[in-house]
Amino acid sequence: MKELILISLLGIFVLALDVLQLRKLTLPAIVLGLLGLMACCALDWNRNEQPFLEYGGMLLFDNTSLAFTFVFSFLALLWFLITRDQFATDAKRSDLYALTLFSLCGAVIMASYSSLVTLFLGIEILSIPLYVLAASDKRSVRSNEAGFKYFFLGSLASAILLFGIALVYGATGSFDLATIAAAGQSNSSLISIGCLMMLAGFAFKISAAPFHMWAPDVYQGSPTVYTAFMSTVVKGAAFAGMFKLFAIAFNDFTESHRSVFVAMIVLTLLWANVVGMRQTNIKRLLAYSGISHAGFMLAFVMLGASSDPKWLIYYVLTYSIASMIAFVIVNYVESYHLGMEDQDGFKGLVKKNPTLAIAMTLSLLSMAGLPPLSGFMGKYIIIGQCMRADLIGLTIIMILTSVVAMFYYLRIIMLMFTPLENAGRIIPEKGQMWIIGIGSVLIIALFFGASIFEIIQW
Amino acid sequence: MALLPNITIDHYLYFSTILFCLGIAGILYRRNAIIMFMCIELMLNAVNVALVAFSKMYGQTDAQVFVFFIMVVAAAEVAVGLAILMMLYRNMHTTETDVLDKLKF
Amino acid sequence: MLTEYAFWFLTFVAIFSAMGMILSKNPVYSVLSLIVTFFAIAGHYFLLNAQFLAAVHIIVYAGAIMVLFLYVIMMLNLNKVDEEKRSIWSKAAAAASFGILLLVVSAAIGHGHAQSELQSVADTSAIGTTETLGLSLYKEFLIPFEISSVLFLAAMVGAVYLSKKEQYN
Repeated sequence: MKELILISLLGIFVLALDVLQLRKLTLPAIVLGLLGLMACCALDWNRNEQPFLEYGGMLLFDNTSLAFTFVFSFLALLWFLITRDQFATDAKRSDLYALTLFSLCGAVIMASYSSLVTLFLGIEILSIPLYVLAASDKRSVRSNEAGFKYFFLGSLASAILLFGIALVYGATGSFDLATIAAAGQSNSSLISIGCLMMLAGFAFKISAAPFHMWAPDVYQGSPTVYTAFMSTVVKGAAFAGMFKLFAIAFNDFTESHRSVFVAMIVLTLLWANVVGMRQTNIKRLLAYSGISHAGFMLAFVMLGASSDPKWLIYYVLTYSIASMIAFVIVNYVESYHLGMEDQDGFKGLVKKNPTLAIAMTLSLLSMAGLPPLSGFMGKYIIIGQCMRADLIGLTIIMILTSVVAMFYYLRIIMLMFTPLENAGRIIPEKGQMWIIGIGSVLIIALFFGASIFEIIQW
Repeated sequence: MALLPNITIDHYLYFSTILFCLGIAGILYRRNAIIMFMCIELMLNAVNVALVAFSKMYGQTDAQVFVFFIMVVAAAEVAVGLAILMMLYRNMHTTETDVLDKLKF
Repeated sequence: MLTEYAFWFLTFVAIFSAMGMILSKNPVYSVLSLIVTFFAIAGHYFLLNAQFLAAVHIIVYAGAIMVLFLYVIMMLNLNKVDEEKRSIWSKAAAAASFGILLLVVSAAIGHGHAQSELQSVADTSAIGTTETLGLSLYKEFLIPFEISSVLFLAAMVGAVYLSKKEQYN
């Protein structure tokens, strides 16, 4: 519970600092607060805290939710540091920071809910600040459009999710996950249709096919720093919520409707990679890459109780770090070229700034899944688990689409290393370069870190 | 078992489903952002009807309290949504969604 | 007997005014039709012994949310008949999705009923009173109640941020 209180108070504190004209302290306060949040997660480990149980509870901080919370706070910390220079001159950064923190609060709830009521509120707290952040570049028509599309499809998804919740309540008479899990879901049509609607609602949030259409538009139109946040913390939070719901509470449903999940994954992978091939806009391309990774992560959810949540956490962590670095570098290139997002902006990046080019190469290759980078380990694990579950067709599709995806990642890398005459130089602040460097080292280090994940038991 | 004389939970579920589907049909049919937005409100209300009927069926209050939270969320969504819509209008001078094509491939 | 007639009356009013909301060409009429739908739904809440909820529903939806909609429509001066052109495809898509979804969910409901999973269990005359709802809201639902304050704060900050005029310099 103290995680949630800390993060909400941090958001309010940031607003208060703005009122008190102490904007210089905002970022240090946030960094300290997020470090404190990570410490809280470590302190609560193994306590399985259910706050206010005598009042009805509705939250459960078990080790999986604490691990997710830890990862989200780490990613948020990375985000705040890596985008620091983008906000340096922004007079309204306190509002934006506070909204980001509220969204993180929603992510923590998504990791730790134990009732459908808190799930619904969590998903809304996660999304509503993001609708604003997506539209936050008020003068840009594209940002407005992205904000509107995200808002509109997001609230449509919540309405569908809610109808699913209502039907599940109608069949079981409870919002509590444990009670619903105990009731079983295999023999009731009302609960099946309810679960399917909840699945559709979640598929919107994680941008899995056939509900992924918003993702490229929104990723392209939003200010790039928020795209980085969306494709990492928010996607991870949606998966944390989804894993808890479908892999633990609705395990019966997931087992008996495995074909629905398989169809969704196959469609997601095929669509993302085939359409992704044709993209020349780098943000759209990364959006399609995100969709295809959503397909892989969905496989963890599909395997349900037989797959360990720690590997989903590992996948979320590795994908998010790579994706965050990629988007931040896109942001540098984009502002150098005055808003041009076409992939040609990357031509000759190695001349403009070799460090950025190498970091981008590492993160793209990690997303493509090349050893010895952490993205490979994530894909390797999920493919192995699918193999053990006798899903040979799905495994083949996963491998084939990974190979196809390699082409479009390589295309960008080739562009970056194309020599270019009289190229200028992109020079971010020195501190930013260090953070990007640390992130890139993490991409490699986590490949070997997988063995640490192997040892952790909970 | 009947909730009212001759009226069962099924009647309420069908009613709620019809309202929900009307909301979805309206979203696909209309191109005016404000009307589409009202269709979402209609869908949320369809859910509320179902929940209140279930609450009566089970004799529990929790579904009715959940309806409060749905209203809370609806109010928050409307506040943010209309702000986004106003901003869109300020830049585009229309609320028709057909003009939202700056981000098409 | 009376309640049965009331049910059918309110149901038809709600459905027809919802259709009116979708089909009306003037946004103001749409808002007014939706308010009629909300009143009919409030009537349903009364029939289901959810009196307090019915009152809150009227206050929040008809009183606050729809007024906000009307306010925006007036402010943007949209209260004119709009000649939107809809392609035959969007009409077909709307009709088809309406039909399919209705069919699927109705089948599920009918099927579910056959399995007699939908059984009413208790006498329910007292669940909708302010007292029981209040007790439930502040006891069982304490955490969601507190969480929703974060939601409101976020929505408030967001709406203020978006509607502040950007300073052009």
